[in-house]
Amino acid sequence: MERRKFLKQSSLASSLFFVPSFVRAFQEVASSKLGYKRLVIIQLSGGNDGLNTVIPYRNDLYYKERPTLGIAKKDIIKLNDEVGLHASLEPLKKLYDKGYLSIINNVGYPNPVRSHFRSMDIWQTATDSNEYSQSGWVGRYLDNYGKQPHSAIEVDESLSLAMKGENFNAIATQDAKALYNLSKDPYFKNIHNNQNNAHLNEHNLGYLYKSMIAAESSAKYIFETSKTVTSFQEYPNNKFGKHLNTTAQFINSGLQTKVFYTSLGGFDTHVNQLNTQKRLLGQYANGVEAFIKDLKDNDTFKDTLILTFSEFGRRVKQNASVGTDHGTANNIFVIGENLKKQGFYNDMASLSDLDDNGDLKFEIDFRTIYATVLDKWLEVDDKKVLNKSFKQLDFI
Amino acid sequence: MKTKYIQHLYRRIGFGILPSTLGKLSKKSKKEVIKNLFTSSKNVTPLEVDTSEIKDIFSNMMRGSKLDPETRRKIQKISRKKQIELNVAWIERLTNSSEILREKMTLFWANHFVCEDNSITYIQQFNNTLRKHALGDFRDFVNAVSKEAAMTKYLNTKQNKKQKPNENFARELMELFTLGVGHYTEEDIKESARAFTGYSHNLRGEFVFKKRQHDESDKTFFGKTGNFSGKEIIDIILEEKQCAKYICEKIYRYFVNDTADDNLVSAMTDVFYKDYNIENLMRFMLMSDWFYDDKNIGSKIKSPIEFLVGLKTLVPTEFKNPKQLLYIQKLLGQTLLNPPNVAGWKGGKNWIDSNTIVLRLKLPSLLLNGAYISKVKDGQDDVQMEAKKELFKKKYGKRFKTEVNWKYFNTQFKNVKINEFQNHVLACEVNEAAQQYLKALDKVSKQEYCIQLMSLPEYQMC
Repeated sequence: MERRKFLKQSSLASSLFFVPSFVRAFQEVASSKLGYKRLVIIQLSGGNDGLNTVIPYRNDLYYKERPTLGIAKKDIIKLNDEVGLHASLEPLKKLYDKGYLSIINNVGYPNPVRSHFRSMDIWQTATDSNEYSQSGWVGRYLDNYGKQPHSAIEVDESLSLAMKGENFNAIATQDAKALYNLSKDPYFKNIHNNQNNAHLNEHNLGYLYKSMIAAESSAKYIFETSKTVTSFQEYPNNKFGKHLNTTAQFINSGLQTKVFYTSLGGFDTHVNQLNTQKRLLGQYANGVEAFIKDLKDNDTFKDTLILTFSEFGRRVKQNASVGTDHGTANNIFVIGENLKKQGFYNDMASLSDLDDNGDLKFEIDFRTIYATVLDKWLEVDDKKVLNKSFKQLDFI
Repeated sequence: MKTKYIQHLYRRIGFGILPSTLGKLSKKSKKEVIKNLFTSSKNVTPLEVDTSEIKDIFSNMMRGSKLDPETRRKIQKISRKKQIELNVAWIERLTNSSEILREKMTLFWANHFVCEDNSITYIQQFNNTLRKHALGDFRDFVNAVSKEAAMTKYLNTKQNKKQKPNENFARELMELFTLGVGHYTEEDIKESARAFTGYSHNLRGEFVFKKRQHDESDKTFFGKTGNFSGKEIIDIILEEKQCAKYICEKIYRYFVNDTADDNLVSAMTDVFYKDYNIENLMRFMLMSDWFYDDKNIGSKIKSPIEFLVGLKTLVPTEFKNPKQLLYIQKLLGQTLLNPPNVAGWKGGKNWIDSNTIVLRLKLPSLLLNGAYISKVKDGQDDVQMEAKKELFKKKYGKRFKTEVNWKYFNTQFKNVKINEFQNHVLACEVNEAAQQYLKALDKVSKQEYCIQLMSLPEYQMC
């Protein structure tokens, strides 16, 4: 073999694709033993009504604006003399008591948009509300710090914009076996088995071959690693519960994945909100409770941070259909063992000082939360990911 | 015209070409082939699904009255159902249209003037505005888009009032629709937003100019001062050669090559800037020798829609369950009528991630061939082939309810020699390793060979 060709090939080989997974797994053992921090993002899609989630039950304005939608004092799980949780959130109360929960109130962004698509887009891309981006914030984290497609996993069937970078994308799977089966037809192996690197370097076609090989490798790695553990934890029998179960299995098997992303939808409660939200918050809280137990049993909770958000909160005043319309600022939940500020991070939003639409005025920019998580938890340069410098908060 | 060039042309301005058409065209000159392309796209055939249910509700309402919540919900429900129908009808149109250049241009513009709306009547009307102007005058096009109900909703021109201007449309007009980022100032945005105040629509989706909400005072825009209307702002923008350049570069990247060639884009810009006539620009591009350069042929990554429609063109496939067709679009990362945001799909390499590449490689066999990719070595046969396909259909057939017309495929390719077959399916050369592997395999039938070729990364190229 010519020397130049050899050098080219060996440098290619070292760039992950041809390293057998067991070698890679071995290399990574050291880091996983030393505490491998992971971020789990839970997206509540549709705009969860934050005011009926974390409830200012001593505020007369709350009941005045929500005569038939306000939740009666007796049904509220009290956290302190002013504020309580929705009755479906009993598991969160336990986390609150243990100091595992930090509630950040009144999170939003300047010039809020009340369209689901657009507002979700803003949360996922972390741009200003008058800017559009074709990459998401976790995607840009991967652009800068990702190693393999499975460095971030969306536990769902396809990738959200949040998980797509400029040059690098996460991988989506809700069923590691199905993904592996899809990718493992021997036909695919045979067409690149004796791949020469000249071809791999070719512009677009080379990129396709590289993506194919990386995908096969990640699919195999995720499947073979995750099947080494069996969970004894019972999860609620719904889609969200299953997704959290899968996420826990990925985490507990020591998968080298820094960010997990999953979502629970249906929060767009314009009509007859009470029952819908009760059911959904129950799914959320019970799912999270099982998830945390599962992680604790495997000693991985200490290295896991869970972030829950929704694209916006809802209007303070209820509408004519015992529901609420799209609003602005909302509360977000940060769950973990290493919280600096446990309980309430800040005060509840004012219900008297509203904007022209009768919506809450935001106090904390959600990107300051991202910046904090990137810097303090994932320990990377948040400015590189968010393309801007944001103030850091003090919750972890 | 050389068959290789005709194939390239049709992969770019359409979704591929079948042997029968190819045979006919190869006897014609390049000039004739291209002239033919424009002649057959002269007509505009609107894409329409039946929306009479909603239109009836509108026409039964009193003029000026508002929708009550219950009727609104009813309309939304119908709309959601009809959006699926429109999506399917659009895919069908792309597969079977004789106005293929117009349709491909419509698809291009849908990712330029990006818009979405949950009202079926508005989005259908918007879609047909794209179709109507796809090869027309760019100036008329921008004006028409600025007045579309769906667009005034999507970019908040509706909320843009004299007392409280909303800059969303003005900003995207310049950033995404005409000039590109960095070719205007924040002040230009503020001033031009005032020119579009009063743009609105009525319930039926017709443009309404609300005079009382329009700002009649002077605006200073690109160094000019006057009481400009929205139309005049568009005129001033189009005076900037950058606008022609921005559009030409986008067209070059979409139809010719991902990597823009400054000299060629500049030549296109000179043509386009003269009259902003899209048809003239396209003719110039398609007639140029450089369009057919080797480095352009088979160099682009197909969009999911190009992939799906191309597959349907080669092997006629009917999706029995419309929801499955939408689901596949979602998994592939491009659902028609449902763009990620006003910046649209990024395209190129961005179509490809671990999930989409795996799915793209497996999808042809899943949809067309009972998940079976023949790996039978030359001289052997797979006696279980049919049984394996049947087993798959029995187990998973429900998830892929398709009716595949292999008979049509076989008639089309009957006289195509096996050593020429590859050029009909693939736009680029197959890499050495795969080619050798393919050579060692038995050519069971053209159907099996076709599936093998469609299961290659090379099939993702156009």
